[in-house]
Amino acid sequence: MSKTFDRFASLIFLVLGVAFVVGSQNISASAYGSHVGPNIFPMGLGSLLILLSLRLFYETFTYKQEGKKEKEKLDYKRFLIILVGALLYVLLLEEIGYVISTFLFLFVGFQTMQKGKWLNSVIISGAFSFGVYLLYVEVLDGTLPGLPTWLGL
Amino acid sequence: MSAFDYLLNGFATALQWQNIIFAFVGVLIGTVVGVLPGIGPISGVALLIPVTASLTSGLPPEAAATSAIILLAGVYYGAMYGGSTTSILLNTPGESSSVVTVLDGYPMAKQGRAGVALSIAAIGSFFAGLVSLIGLVFLAEPLSEVALKLSPADEFSLMILGLCALSGLAGKSVTKALMMTVFGLLIATIGLDNVSGVARFTFDMPELYSGLEFLTIAVGVFALGEVFKTILERDVNEGEIAKISRIIPTKEDLKESAGPILRGSLVGFFKGIVPGSGATLASFLAYLLEKKISKTPEKFGKGAIAGVAAPESANNAASGGAMIPLLTLGIPGTGTTAVLMGALIMYNVQPGPLLFEDHPTIAWGLIASMFIGNVMLLILNMPLVKVFAKLIETPPKYLIPMIVAISVFGVYAVRVSVFDLVLLLLCGLVGYFLAKNDFPMAPLVLGLVLGPMIENNLRRALTTSNGDFSIFIEKPVSLVFLIIAVLWITVPLIMKMRGKKVIVNEE
Repeated sequence: MSKTFDRFASLIFLVLGVAFVVGSQNISASAYGSHVGPNIFPMGLGSLLILLSLRLFYETFTYKQEGKKEKEKLDYKRFLIILVGALLYVLLLEEIGYVISTFLFLFVGFQTMQKGKWLNSVIISGAFSFGVYLLYVEVLDGTLPGLPTWLGL
Repeated sequence: MSAFDYLLNGFATALQWQNIIFAFVGVLIGTVVGVLPGIGPISGVALLIPVTASLTSGLPPEAAATSAIILLAGVYYGAMYGGSTTSILLNTPGESSSVVTVLDGYPMAKQGRAGVALSIAAIGSFFAGLVSLIGLVFLAEPLSEVALKLSPADEFSLMILGLCALSGLAGKSVTKALMMTVFGLLIATIGLDNVSGVARFTFDMPELYSGLEFLTIAVGVFALGEVFKTILERDVNEGEIAKISRIIPTKEDLKESAGPILRGSLVGFFKGIVPGSGATLASFLAYLLEKKISKTPEKFGKGAIAGVAAPESANNAASGGAMIPLLTLGIPGTGTTAVLMGALIMYNVQPGPLLFEDHPTIAWGLIASMFIGNVMLLILNMPLVKVFAKLIETPPKYLIPMIVAISVFGVYAVRVSVFDLVLLLLCGLVGYFLAKNDFPMAPLVLGLVLGPMIENNLRRALTTSNGDFSIFIEKPVSLVFLIIAVLWITVPLIMKMRGKKVIVNEE
């Protein structure tokens, strides 16, 4: 159990709880034919969340002193590359189309996970992005952003 | 019509050619999901919801819902079969309900009996699947008839009980589990209120009018959360894979495992019906039980066949058992059934007492397809176990980015919005960090699924009582549910305070 994380999390949830309670004040209180308006439920839950966050915050004081165990090394480098890659992927999906964005993301992803075997990475990313597109759009009549028009294809 | 007639009709549905294919694809993918490290049943089901939605898009609504749920349930119980494979061959469980199988499965493999262990696991799973299905057939009707008589106040309290049951046993801290439950219920209130039509917490963003999509959140916290964990923690298997030689168990093996399979199935089934306990706990209990009644308890941990047969039967029986409260009462007891319920709601099918009345085709078709699926799994797993074992060698290099791509495809195919894709990534991040710090995710998803229903029942009940909250304790049935709910949370707390060990369920 991480004391710091739990304290931080309890504060965030506390803020969220307060936000929901305050936010529900602005919802009109009664609905036609009902004594209980749309505001009661979120207001009650928000209050409950506030109480639970306070309880968790209090609990963090009773955590036993964490032994100085070896901090596990997290692989932040690979993680950040893939995360940023994924973010660019979803933001560009509609701009450059499904096939290109998926191909690029997969290729970068494969190479980030493990460098080398370029040809395999190209083949698998290509097969996946084209395969899914063909199957979904041509066979199943679904909609995915196609190739960008400025390619002139 | 009797349960038997309904079941026959169910078979008529399940035996339609497209449903046979859906069941087959479901159990096949389920087995793969169970074998592959990095995706568990819950993320597997979440990932496949959008895929099935596009596969069934050409069918009429009821048939589409039936086929989709047949496939998704197949993934659920199929994963229970597959999970044993890595436990036995690699000393690493493919999903959490096979954790105990490692104890005796891997030693068996080291003694050159991997094949026997795998086939006993498959036979046990098959038998357990049948036991829980028979239970499902006999309990479904009476339970949903009882459930039909519940008033809104009773239903509200029943759902509160369901939430408490899952929170009370989930993870290491009850406070955190309750926080996640409440938070799930809160995010369910975002969007247009369906009683009054008032917009709540939408900040005038059109994307928020229909609320946060369950699918996006489930895929995010489960599938992407797992992916991020695998990348950050380099969660990669590097063990040696045991060789499989003889597959067919000897007469002696069968004799030795018959008892454990039967007991494991029963333990698992009853454990499965109780919301919140799930397959992991069931397999654990079945293992402990066998060790306790065994004449040779010293053999356990060194390759006792009972130590494989009992937990593997129990986890399968539990997944079947967990379908009962889901289908009859509309209370999902585990994370995976919560995701299944979300899928049904996506198809405008409300699980619960009315399911058997309003959609008998879906309910009984699903039950019958589970018979068929279990037969398929036995056939798949006995001779093909070597093929599945090969899957363990799939390099995570390719697997991990592809899961991200499948999540993005799935969410985009259903939602067609970049907003949801960004939300998806965000949920993955938040899900990973919260889950890593013992904030369980299953209660959050359960809260999200049950939120609107709980609120509706609350408001309906309060309308009949003119806003008087005492209606919930004046109605005897509701009162009983609430008392059990309170006990469910407090008893483990009190036991913990007294220094007793409390088994928790982690999915």
